[in-house]
Amino acid sequence: MKYKHNISGHLMILPCYVIYLFFVLLPVLMTVWFSFRDYDLFTQSNFVGIDNFTRLFTDPLFLVSVKNTFIYALGTIIPQILLGLLLAVLLNTNIPGRGFFRLAFYIPYLVSMVSVAMLWLWIYDPASGVLNRFVKFIGLPPQRWLFDMKLALSSLMVMGVWKMSGYNMIIYLAGLQQIPPQLYEAADIDGISGFRKFLHITIPLIQPTTFFLVVINTIQSFAVFEQVNIMTDGGPSNATTTIVHQMYERGFVDFQMGYASSMGVFLLLITILLTVFNFKYGREGQDLS
Amino acid sequence: MQKKSASTYILFIILLLASIVVVMPFVLMITASLKTSAEINASVFKFFPAKMQFSNYPKAFANSPWGRWFANTIFVTVLATVVSLVTNSMAGFSFARLQFKGRDLLFYSVLLGIMVPPQLTILPTFLIMRGIPLTGGNNLWGQGGTGLIDSYLGLTLPIFAGAFGIFLCRQYFLNFPDSLDDAAEIDGAGVWKRFWAIYVPNSKPLLLSLGILKGTYTWNDYIWPLVVVYSEKMMTVQLGLSRFRDVIINWELLMAATATVMLPLVILFILSQRYFVSGLVTSGMKG
Repeated sequence: MKYKHNISGHLMILPCYVIYLFFVLLPVLMTVWFSFRDYDLFTQSNFVGIDNFTRLFTDPLFLVSVKNTFIYALGTIIPQILLGLLLAVLLNTNIPGRGFFRLAFYIPYLVSMVSVAMLWLWIYDPASGVLNRFVKFIGLPPQRWLFDMKLALSSLMVMGVWKMSGYNMIIYLAGLQQIPPQLYEAADIDGISGFRKFLHITIPLIQPTTFFLVVINTIQSFAVFEQVNIMTDGGPSNATTTIVHQMYERGFVDFQMGYASSMGVFLLLITILLTVFNFKYGREGQDLS
Repeated sequence: MQKKSASTYILFIILLLASIVVVMPFVLMITASLKTSAEINASVFKFFPAKMQFSNYPKAFANSPWGRWFANTIFVTVLATVVSLVTNSMAGFSFARLQFKGRDLLFYSVLLGIMVPPQLTILPTFLIMRGIPLTGGNNLWGQGGTGLIDSYLGLTLPIFAGAFGIFLCRQYFLNFPDSLDDAAEIDGAGVWKRFWAIYVPNSKPLLLSLGILKGTYTWNDYIWPLVVVYSEKMMTVQLGLSRFRDVIINWELLMAATATVMLPLVILFILSQRYFVSGLVTSGMKG
């Protein structure tokens, strides 16, 4: 590029960048700023040092939400990626009805979390819900899915995996289509079995896609909020409360902006840490292949 | 050959069963939306309603201003999509095809934003919205009123731009040949003319994919409207749906409303499947 476009260049990014600055970058800085302050949304905010953070680690409710968030993330990220990969590999063959299958697995990702939450509220309903009817039909005892302390979080996780696997499938399908078919043809000539081809050609070559999906799924699963807010409101007995749910409750229900912001900083640090960890691990993996 | 067709057959059965399991909630939603309350709560479960209760649909929308909520959502979705297409493609073009001071630094700062989950920034974004000067009764210093809280601009302004959209456009525009710029430069076409007359008309797949992704996001968004909307008349369909449950607990009506809120997106998806997928894929591949 030989030309200098100082004024036009700046003018063209200006509208976009100003909005980005005010609604992404500045909010991140403000979260950090308010995490050291006390603010009820109405009166002046006061500097309180690290009080919010010391409170975080002694607040049993917040600690429960951290535990729940980690359980939710661990229990959803791995199944979502594995199911996405499995479906993509199966649908990357010349199987009849491939277009229909792709559509079917993708639809849960397409529709809103609110719709999905409403739908599954009914599925999980202890009295008239479909799941308990099915469970009774196969001769098992019915459960109080979302109202049972031991089952509620898992119930949300099952719904989450159902919703997100289709996204992982689509991204994996794109990754699989980048693999040159000659590699498989060569392996065929050498008489290598289907499973070994998958293990030694497919897996290493889609590593960048896997890496991308691990990062995206991690960021999303750690920010789980909507289904909690709509379906359980953190209950029963805080069995499903998560970090963002606590953040929302403290910020917009109790008007403790400062304390809620410190939760935001905590989540941001976890997200950055995991992303950096993923990058490091992802890079190492790529060196091997 | 024999073995291969047998395994294809098994795979087909597996996929068919899996897809039935995945789609079943939606099928049940539709059948439930056509049942009577008594049928849904009956101890014996019947898949199909004895008589299709199409009246559930108007009944579901009778007691709330759903017409207004649908109109709000359509307006907000179209506004956010159109404006963000213009701003994002301009920024993407600039980052990809122009040279200017601080370009790389600015672009890296955009990349950072991809990592920030939107849920994280709702508290400060709310404060910024409330503090926008000279709006909603605010003075010049952004105090005294409610700013853009509970307004259409409040609903859309934060999504007019996004790290992901800028990134997607930049990646797309990077693929244009340099000779195109050279030829335009020799013909005396300025940067703006080049953008509007050459790049935009040749970016239909990009604009459609990004438009569909942005439109879907805006239609489906819940957390930001939840925070920024106070009054009933500003609500979107997602908020309406989430509140529906608190007002009425008739499952058949809730399922009818849920199906209707989903419908526009499913139609859009079927009409434009190609662009949907290519948008997602571009976002996925280059991430």
